Amino acid sequence: MSTQQSVSQITSHDEDKRRLALLERVVQRIHNNNRVAMTVLWTLSGIVTILFVSIVLLLLIQGIPYLIRPDFYSANGEGSIGSQLFNTFYILVLSEIILVPISLAAAIYLVEYARPGRFVTFVHFSAETLAGVPSLVLGLFGFLAFGSRLGLGFGTSRLTGALTLLCFNFPLALRLFEDALTAVPRDFREGGLALGSTKWRMVRTVVLPSALPGIVTAIILSSGRIIGEAAALIFTMGTTNPANVFTLNPFISSDNLTIRIWYVQTLGSGVVPPDAANAVSAGAAALLIVILLLINFASRGVARFIQRRITAA
Amino acid sequence: MAQAQPVQSQAQQRVQRARMADQTAHIVFFICAILIVAVIIGVFVFVGIQGFRLFGEDPHARNFLTSTNWDPDGANGTTSYGTLGFILGSVITTLIAIVVVTPLAFGMALFMTEITPKWLEGILRPLLEIFTGMPSVVIGFLALVILVPFISKVVGPLTPNPATAGVGWGTATLVLIIMILPTVISISIDAVRAVPDSVREASLALGSTRWQMMRNAIIPAATTGLATAVVFGIARAIGEALAVSMVLKGTSLPTNVFTPLAFFQPNVNLTQPIVLYFSDASGTTRDAYFMLGFLLLVISFLFVCVSRYLASRSVYK
Repeated sequence: MSTQQSVSQITSHDEDKRRLALLERVVQRIHNNNRVAMTVLWTLSGIVTILFVSIVLLLLIQGIPYLIRPDFYSANGEGSIGSQLFNTFYILVLSEIILVPISLAAAIYLVEYARPGRFVTFVHFSAETLAGVPSLVLGLFGFLAFGSRLGLGFGTSRLTGALTLLCFNFPLALRLFEDALTAVPRDFREGGLALGSTKWRMVRTVVLPSALPGIVTAIILSSGRIIGEAAALIFTMGTTNPANVFTLNPFISSDNLTIRIWYVQTLGSGVVPPDAANAVSAGAAALLIVILLLINFASRGVARFIQRRITAA
Repeated sequence: MAQAQPVQSQAQQRVQRARMADQTAHIVFFICAILIVAVIIGVFVFVGIQGFRLFGEDPHARNFLTSTNWDPDGANGTTSYGTLGFILGSVITTLIAIVVVTPLAFGMALFMTEITPKWLEGILRPLLEIFTGMPSVVIGFLALVILVPFISKVVGPLTPNPATAGVGWGTATLVLIIMILPTVISISIDAVRAVPDSVREASLALGSTRWQMMRNAIIPAATTGLATAVVFGIARAIGEALAVSMVLKGTSLPTNVFTPLAFFQPNVNLTQPIVLYFSDASGTTRDAYFMLGFLLLVISFLFVCVSRYLASRSVYK
């Protein structure tokens, strides 16, 4: 009897031990998997980060020797980019002047006036579709609708380019402006309306000022896209410059920094000598990176600054 | 009484003016909102009508989707408008690019939402934002001066024409990877971030390790969002034009298209012929490029519909 008991005790003890060992192995395996997965994730992210950082550094290293030379910014000469730099900022200002009022107005309509329902969904679907259209196809559309005599007939000009950029940036600007407006708390609006003001007055005096940081950030973000865009512009704004680009005339055709980089490396590779072509591309690429970095920092700083000013006042 | 009358009518006038302003504003805003609908319809109508003219102008255009011979000027006798070669180029470069990008982007998204220490996120986030807005020509130029000479030196001697080796699908694929990676990462991050913390906590409370939590809780919960990211990446890769046109440099498919060497010789895709030859084209030839553009438009529209369908099925937004 007692021997039997002790035997069963021993076997159950062995069983426990085996189970424990099994459990330990499972836990070990799970933790090993975890460790392996973490290592893989760290490595993947490390590779991507190193890739990004090295691209930025490579571009800067290649371009800075040109950027520090003053004659690189002169207006004429094949290895300089003075006119392109002017054109880039000209088209930036021109297209923002067209883009901001229109897309802000559309955003105000969708957020403040429209009743949520089919119409708003439809507009959002249109915006999403437009955002998905390749910018090259938008360039073809701009060529027909704004440039050719089938549409508005502005020819290949800065104005045609700016209107095409409106189509290109409309969806993004609309979404960012909508986000900025919806972030304004509801009781602000109710306060305004309770004082008896009309909707438009309430929007103008209550909603827009409080949404200002978001609006400014949206403008800065869209300007980064305008500076970097080229595919929508090569058929609408042109690839070459007239004799004098330093005018505010919107009806002349001109290029910009990105178009110039593309042009000297493809279509113009026979016209522009290779040395000048590489100087222009390397310098302009580095300059674009610097401008985009500045825009990125500005978009953080400015929004914070305005926020502080508004809340302090 | 005589005094109260003008005061009252003045107040009435003011109210009336305010109402008028409100109504005018309402109408103006409505027109601006309608404008975006008008633009997208206009894109389809303008590019579509101009493109479909091709089929009326030249009966040879019937081989648009069935031939690989693109010769709109009729340089070899009769005109021919076969786009299969271009489509093949876009499909191959896009597929390889998205296969490489997807694991990288998902890994990076998980890393940035679940693992990153705060200080590292402060560096990675701006870096990602800058790369999302990186001009494509800049990447194209960099590939042209760094990748092309390197590839040309390594595989150039194997190709039939070493002088032009280096450009082609291989370089184009690498350019596409760099171009779409930031976009896919940031949409994936949004998808993972949209999964509520309660899912994470529930998984951890059951005793999962961090990896088990990611694999069995977060990724299944974020599936539709992650799929949207991939769809967006594909759409962007197909529409990408300038950078790719800088590193393809071909006019037609190479003769040895089904060997690996085809990746390192001048080649074609859907966007490159439009970019390079549209400006000089006229008449029927130009309409052929519009038709190519319309093809791109339809493809991108299909992808928008797919991503919208996916978004409508997602649980967490």
